[in-house]
Amino acid sequence: MATQHSRAAARLMISPAVLLLLAWMIVPLAMTLYFSTLRYNLLMPGANPFVGWENYHYFLTDPAFTTALVNTLLLVGGVLVITVVGGILLGLLLDQPFWGQGIVRILVIAPFFVMPTVSALVWKNMFMNPVNGLFAYLFKAVGLQPFDFLAQAPLASIILIVSWQWLPFATLILLTALQSLDSEQLEAAEMDGAGFFSKFFFIMLPHLARAITVVILIQTIFLLSIFAEILVTTNGGPGLASTNLTYLVYAQSLLQFDVGLGSAGGIVAVILANIVAIFLMRMIGKNLDA
Amino acid sequence: MGNITLSKVTKSFGDVQVIPPLDLDIREGEFVVFVGPSGCGKSTLLRLIAGLEDVTSGEIRIDDRNATELPPAKRGLAMVFQSYALYPHMSVRKNIAFPLRMAGLDKAEQDRKVEAAAKVLNLTDYLDRRPGQLSGGQRQRVAIGRAIVREPAAFLFDEPLSNLDAALRVGMRLEISELHERLKTTMIYVTHDQVEAMTMADKIVVLRAGNIEQVGSPLELYHKPRNLFVAGFIGSPKMNLISGAEAAKHDAKHIGIRPEHLKASKESGVWKGRVGVSEHLGSDTFIHVHDTGLAVGEEDMVTVRCDGEMDARHGDTIWLTPDMERLHRFDDKGLRIT
Ligand SMILES: Nc1ncnc2c1ncn2[C@@H]1O[C@H](COP(=O)(O)OP(=O)(O)OP(=O)(O)O)[C@@H](O)[C@H]1O
Ligand SMILES: [Mg+2]
Repeated sequence: MATQHSRAAARLMISPAVLLLLAWMIVPLAMTLYFSTLRYNLLMPGANPFVGWENYHYFLTDPAFTTALVNTLLLVGGVLVITVVGGILLGLLLDQPFWGQGIVRILVIAPFFVMPTVSALVWKNMFMNPVNGLFAYLFKAVGLQPFDFLAQAPLASIILIVSWQWLPFATLILLTALQSLDSEQLEAAEMDGAGFFSKFFFIMLPHLARAITVVILIQTIFLLSIFAEILVTTNGGPGLASTNLTYLVYAQSLLQFDVGLGSAGGIVAVILANIVAIFLMRMIGKNLDA
Repeated sequence: MGNITLSKVTKSFGDVQVIPPLDLDIREGEFVVFVGPSGCGKSTLLRLIAGLEDVTSGEIRIDDRNATELPPAKRGLAMVFQSYALYPHMSVRKNIAFPLRMAGLDKAEQDRKVEAAAKVLNLTDYLDRRPGQLSGGQRQRVAIGRAIVREPAAFLFDEPLSNLDAALRVGMRLEISELHERLKTTMIYVTHDQVEAMTMADKIVVLRAGNIEQVGSPLELYHKPRNLFVAGFIGSPKMNLISGAEAAKHDAKHIGIRPEHLKASKESGVWKGRVGVSEHLGSDTFIHVHDTGLAVGEEDMVTVRCDGEMDARHGDTIWLTPDMERLHRFDDKGLRIT
């Protein structure tokens, strides 16, 4: 029985953890908020006067901001599309019985265990490098000019790298969901005259809706803050072509030593992430309590 | 239409032969029930007919057309699954309309047929609900509705009532029988509940380990079981099977007598025994009689049906008299001696 006493006791007992988490979040957030209102540049030591919205004004009117915002959305959207579609297809494939199923399933999960910097470097140097890379080799093998991925299509290349990392996660969740589909439902649909595509769109996809929602929500949270992959491959360039918000904040606060501007950017990024989160929850959250 | 013929149909899963060569003839409009103990291959046989499993060898003909290689949708059969297999994210209306939609019927025609089926099945008020918001019996009716709208050559039911409570089961049993009377469509019904089999069937197929033990009307099976297995399987409570010296007196290896064909008396009779448990059902009382010396199975127990007023206490002495006309005799292979 959940009496008032036990509820009060429960609150009391989780409070240290909650307080710790709160402090963990509140202190940096408060400091960032504070810094974002100062003119605080490490190259100009001295007084750090309070300047109010000035940093925000600079950050939001900087043309780099719009570019970074668009890049962030493209990056998140692109990776989501690739991983969800790819995850469903791979899930369907892996759900079929075939020889060596167990090993193949483990192999599919493997990319998830490789840390982002390492995988990005592997992609950069071993696959996409225009001189030594595997892709360059393949291009040359069929007599084409090697394509310099990171210079000519930087954002697309990063989307590719990040998708490769997240595809296993999506596949794993969607495969599990597929396996939980009652086989009698598929048989009933078959008897009702549904072909493969009808079965997929009318039975499987609705069944997967919840799992897809989970994949999208979780991935979005992580994809909004992609950083390492950009740092080790393109450094946000050429120009701003592969700079997302996270990278822009980094560039402004640490490359230009402008703590105030960087902090303002960080706050803007936090607000944008929350807007995206609310938007997503609204849009697909109804799937979760169906 | 709805003639289904199986000839020399076999089914193996890997090395295990689940259905040995089997012949079966189901005629237009019949209500055929497959019964048998768990794991005897009833569902497998039904799924072979439905096309959800491929036969290993043999031929299935539906309406004089070789259907052995036809995919399920092309056989013109509709199936009602034990788990109902409703589509959880679709409303009842969409569930019932699904086969029509797949067949490419236009919207108005779909609506008309769905409404008609819903009316027959008392589902009109629930058309816009999801399956999750329905009771077990209502879900069952939706599953039947989805089968009806296709106007199939035959309905296949795989233990459709086993998830329902006892009272509802009786109700649905009547509804399905009623439906059969009205539609006159062939129905094949799998169950291991012999009351369902006896009450609903025109023809019962008794299966054991994939073999057909006997095919016949319920009363034929009751009065003339072809072998010991059918004798023991059909009828409730079970037929008393007696072997040894008592059977030899009747020139048989085994004799069988149903509880309702034994007369119990406190004074005199042919066999003497001691009263064990009495089950009072009001109208009848079933008495378990021990120590008859008849060597009845391992438990040495004979069941007898008396009228509800019979007053027999545990430990009392009781006399039993079999109705000789109704005695079943079986030879050493367990086959009926006529
Ligand atoms: N896909 C399969 N692979 C291997 N063996 C199977 C498969 N399906 C069924 N069997 C076996 O075939 C036999 C018959 O199974 P089936 O499901 O037809 O039994 P049943 O008569 O319907 O039993 P129940 O009354 O319990 O539903 C069983 O021994 C079962 O183990
Ligand atoms: Mg079964």
